[in-house]
Amino acid sequence: MCPADNGRGDAGLIPAAAGIGLRFPHHARVVQTRPAVAWFEVHAENYFGGGTVRRVLEAVRRDYPLSLHGVGLSLGSAEELEPRHLARLAELVRAIEPGLVSEHLSWSVLAGQYLADLLPLPMTEEALEVVCRHVEQTQERLQRRILIENPSSYLQFAHSSIPEWEFLAALSARTGCGILCDVNNIFVSCCNHGWDPSAYLEALPAGAVGEIHLAGHAQRTLADGSVVRIDDHGSPVASEVWELYDQALRRFGPRPTLIEWDTDIPPLEVLLDEAARAAAILSRQESRAHARAA
Amino acid sequence: MPALLELQRRMAALLCAEEPSSPEASYLTASAALRLDIHRNTRRSTLINALRLSFPAVQRLVGAEFFDAAARRFISAQPPPGAYLNDYGADFAGFLGDFAPAAALPYLREVAQLEWAVNRALHAADAPGLGLERLAAVAESAWPFVSFIAHPGLSLLRLQYPADLIWRAVLAQDDAAMAQIDPTPDELHLLIERDCTGVQVRRLAGAVWHFTAQLCAGRPLHAALGDRPDAQLEAALAAHLSAGRFIDFQLDDPAVRGTRAPAHSTGEAHS
Repeated sequence: MCPADNGRGDAGLIPAAAGIGLRFPHHARVVQTRPAVAWFEVHAENYFGGGTVRRVLEAVRRDYPLSLHGVGLSLGSAEELEPRHLARLAELVRAIEPGLVSEHLSWSVLAGQYLADLLPLPMTEEALEVVCRHVEQTQERLQRRILIENPSSYLQFAHSSIPEWEFLAALSARTGCGILCDVNNIFVSCCNHGWDPSAYLEALPAGAVGEIHLAGHAQRTLADGSVVRIDDHGSPVASEVWELYDQALRRFGPRPTLIEWDTDIPPLEVLLDEAARAAAILSRQESRAHARAA
Repeated sequence: MPALLELQRRMAALLCAEEPSSPEASYLTASAALRLDIHRNTRRSTLINALRLSFPAVQRLVGAEFFDAAARRFISAQPPPGAYLNDYGADFAGFLGDFAPAAALPYLREVAQLEWAVNRALHAADAPGLGLERLAAVAESAWPFVSFIAHPGLSLLRLQYPADLIWRAVLAQDDAAMAQIDPTPDELHLLIERDCTGVQVRRLAGAVWHFTAQLCAGRPLHAALGDRPDAQLEAALAAHLSAGRFIDFQLDDPAVRGTRAPAHSTGEAHS
């Protein structure tokens, strides 16, 4: 690799600091004003084409560490991965040289049809084998380790036999992939299914956790009176999720942490404030670690 | 307990249904139908939104409610094949053309065709234009046998209505300009491309358009030009080359059949 060819001053490693998910409404602002943000993450699929948005991504990559977060590879499909999608992702990774690449523990493609959502998988040995095979195929194609994000879910399958946290730990152990620990997703799924979020965090292999996600979620009452939390990324991080984040850092140590916001995207300042709040919790964790070391 | 593939087939069928259903979903736990509906709604709103982003002028012409209803029907008829949604909607114009409730707007199909071409130009892969120095190496006698490969973002449209004027007026929300448009059918020849300043929609003379369409279809120069020299077409060729509308060429000289121009990295991004 020669980063200097692209005007990139460093290897673009993602620091254990607070970053922001970069979305289209903030492109111009970020390129023009270079706000003080430790790093950015983008949805890979939004940059599969060329033109202006690719130029923006290259400009951001020159000035900041950048992470690519895929939302459409469908690692959990019982069928084969879509070769064209994987090829496009590989081309983008080659061109951008991101600090991290991540995808989801979910499925969204079947029989040549994209179902446009991150759909839940039954937690079975069969599903684990499918996801392991696809993660290995992706890592081989990209020639790098990827991170897999724990899902947020509303549904459970009667025949699931492996707790989600064990599924993730086994996936990481078998394929060498890392874990993207989405703390909001843990909170949402635990509320929806009556799981214990602290036990979930405790069960994840700390060394495998390469990144943390934080976002807001909504609460909805269904027609049958049951309450469901929906991971819509459309509001500030909930106070319970901030507490769980603090707990995650105690367990895992400082990790790159991302603020995500995807619906009703607010002004950049709101995201900067959320990132500053994460940064404060990160630095508190770092001083705790130093105090212990001293 | 269905195997994963069977379970995914059943879930996909429920998610793509027009109306929420109460599935015989013994493989799901409590209040599954209502929870599955969250995914069904997400799917539909994500896909409708993708079409809205690609067809903003169509949406303004028909209104949001009509657009959503048409989009729902289109999504049912032609769901997206892949997760790269910038590629979704190539057939929406054809669908609208056959959509009876839209018959009152005869130019709607062509405005949608134009918006799809704009969308293609916007999102096409980066591809450097064919360098003139590569063409300069071709002997003059071989020129008639040169054929070109067009830039992936280039589209040529032959339309009956002034779709370009309607598209501009609608997006600018310029009611005065809209009122002045004469919607009488007449031949309109458009070239849509992306240049360094953005997407361009240009009107071409009929002869130039036909010549360009032949070249973009891969016909060699002698076939596209015809027998007689034509200054207008030669000027058009020079303009296409300098604008980077072709990204590669091939030589198909019957005397040296089988020789090909060296392949260039046409599909690759460049900086």
